[in-house]
Amino acid sequence: MKIVYKVLAYLVAVEVAVQAAVMVYGDAGLGKWVAQGGVLDKTVMESEASPFPEVIGLIAHGINGMMVIPVIALLLLISSFFARVPGAVKAAGLVLLLVAVQVTLGLFGHDIPALGALHGLNALLLFSTALYAARRDRSVGVPAQAEPRLGTTG
Amino acid sequence: MKDTRRRGARLRLAVAGVATIAVLGPLVWLWQDSLMPAAYSVMDMGYADYGGGPSPSPPGHGTGSGHGPHLTTGAQGHSGHTATARSVTSLTAERGRTADVAVTLVARAQRFRLPTGRSVDGYTLNGTSPGPAIRATVGQLVEVRLVNESVPGGITLHWHGVDVPNAEDGVAGVTQDAVGAGRSHTYRFVVDQAGTFWYHSHQVSHEQVRRGLLGALVVAPARRPPAGTVDVVALLHLYDAARTVNGREGDVRVAARPGDRVRVRVINTENGETPAWVGGAPFRLVAVDGTDVNEPTPVRDTAVMVTAGGRADIEVTMPEDGSPVRVHIGGPGGLVLGSRSYDAPAAPRPAKKLDLLSYGAPKPIGFAVERADRRFAYDIGRRPGFLDGVPGVWWTVNGHMFPDVPMFVVAERDVVRMRVSNHSGESHPMHLHGHHAVVLSRNGVRATGSPWWMDSLEVGNGESYDVAFVADNPGVWMDHCHNLPHATEGLVAHLMYEGVSTPFTVGGPAANEPE
Repeated sequence: MKIVYKVLAYLVAVEVAVQAAVMVYGDAGLGKWVAQGGVLDKTVMESEASPFPEVIGLIAHGINGMMVIPVIALLLLISSFFARVPGAVKAAGLVLLLVAVQVTLGLFGHDIPALGALHGLNALLLFSTALYAARRDRSVGVPAQAEPRLGTTG
Repeated sequence: MKDTRRRGARLRLAVAGVATIAVLGPLVWLWQDSLMPAAYSVMDMGYADYGGGPSPSPPGHGTGSGHGPHLTTGAQGHSGHTATARSVTSLTAERGRTADVAVTLVARAQRFRLPTGRSVDGYTLNGTSPGPAIRATVGQLVEVRLVNESVPGGITLHWHGVDVPNAEDGVAGVTQDAVGAGRSHTYRFVVDQAGTFWYHSHQVSHEQVRRGLLGALVVAPARRPPAGTVDVVALLHLYDAARTVNGREGDVRVAARPGDRVRVRVINTENGETPAWVGGAPFRLVAVDGTDVNEPTPVRDTAVMVTAGGRADIEVTMPEDGSPVRVHIGGPGGLVLGSRSYDAPAAPRPAKKLDLLSYGAPKPIGFAVERADRRFAYDIGRRPGFLDGVPGVWWTVNGHMFPDVPMFVVAERDVVRMRVSNHSGESHPMHLHGHHAVVLSRNGVRATGSPWWMDSLEVGNGESYDVAFVADNPGVWMDHCHNLPHATEGLVAHLMYEGVSTPFTVGGPAANEPE
């Protein structure tokens, strides 16, 4: 279970990186499209069609952020119960909390752009926390291994 | 030693298991609780809200903030005496009367071309999209036979903004069954109000409208317009993200002579509001959502915000010097009026927006809003949860997520007030079927201009509108967000008259899916 916990924690970090990448990809595509004469207004924003190909980045950001990452964070918390890594539950709980904060900031950033700025900063915090959670076993690894074990643990 | 360790391991495992159940249990319960049955009546959705008015019979479940089950058992519903209830199917136009305007619309799923050559995989009516503009004169009986040749999943037509009898409202699963491929359905209604309207499918509407099942409906006044009047429809629709007016990308050219009065009927068939503005002449906003504005004054360098689903009739008097005029709809394109030889230059979008709260001159609205029989709140929010088993951050109405939303219950001839407020983080174009409501105030600021009658109202985030209407059209009516994907995300409630019931169900054999 330790390995599941570790993989999920790293996965959260990878997902945050993916979120940053697809967002900028979509934003750059929007800039290019506007530069080529495209006009963005509410009708285009709310239409379900793709005015430019990179819009897939913005759509992926939404689905990834509101569904996939929360599910991974939830599974991380559950795996932390079984992982037998000191502080894992606390770390995974913090990851889940930051994910909840991140979704909230993302949604309310639509109307209050300053919250969007916090969304960007919180992403870094979430990324760091996910790595911290993934590497929890390292700091205590040496003393734990010093104690003889009887093969019932895993 | 070994035993202690094993016991410790078991205990740890048990604690982890309990913690998992503690985390997942509520989620699984919420998930299964959100699953919708294969077929349900909208009358059994959520809870009855009588708006402070009398309830017709002891309700089956709590009023106001009641939680209760989402779906009561079929016979119970909100209607009370279902045995004596009128069916929505009986609420029709005069049956014996012959039609003044008879139209047949044949719907097909096909690939078609816009005039610019762009190929669109969508739906057509009589081979085109937008479908043919239907024109009638006030007081006439319009009869439209809708034939579904090949649109999978069934179709309907809703007459957006026309206060038709409930049976003709065209909402799949509420007022009729979706018309499957190979079938037909006839709509009959009297157009009792001159103005600009439109029609569109209300079956899987977020997809069918986007892909082309829509068209304009124009009702002319009984009196013929004076000479020198030009009347033109400007229906905005995006096909595969290509912005079109009347199905055409780029400019639509309209012939007009100096001194002519040109009425441009802007119809926003999109999910988001769009600005319209005029370059080269002042203009007057002469009608909103099919109702004339009282004493509209000329304005310039001002944008008119056209709500999603809404209409705005802009009147331009052509300059005497013969110079052309450009009417922008959303972007650089739109209509060019009166140009023979050269293009009207594009005008940048004005920063100023026309505020309908204070535009035009007041006049009596015809009923006493102070003595309202019912007062409802339609408060839009957003929170995480499950919608029919799908996790997400979904819209709420009065704090409840679909289908736990209120059923607004009224009696015929009630004066109804509703406060529509929005703190969901995004704006919502709210559309009430079958009625026109008048705006009384916005954020507590009273309306001082022409009575602002509307059927589609853009309620921005943080805004609150007080509106009023007379319950004069019995039936079961949708009251929903016309950003159609938002409707699929649960921003749908209904207005129901006492003693009216619907035999139709959402889902079921006809696979009705109004949103």
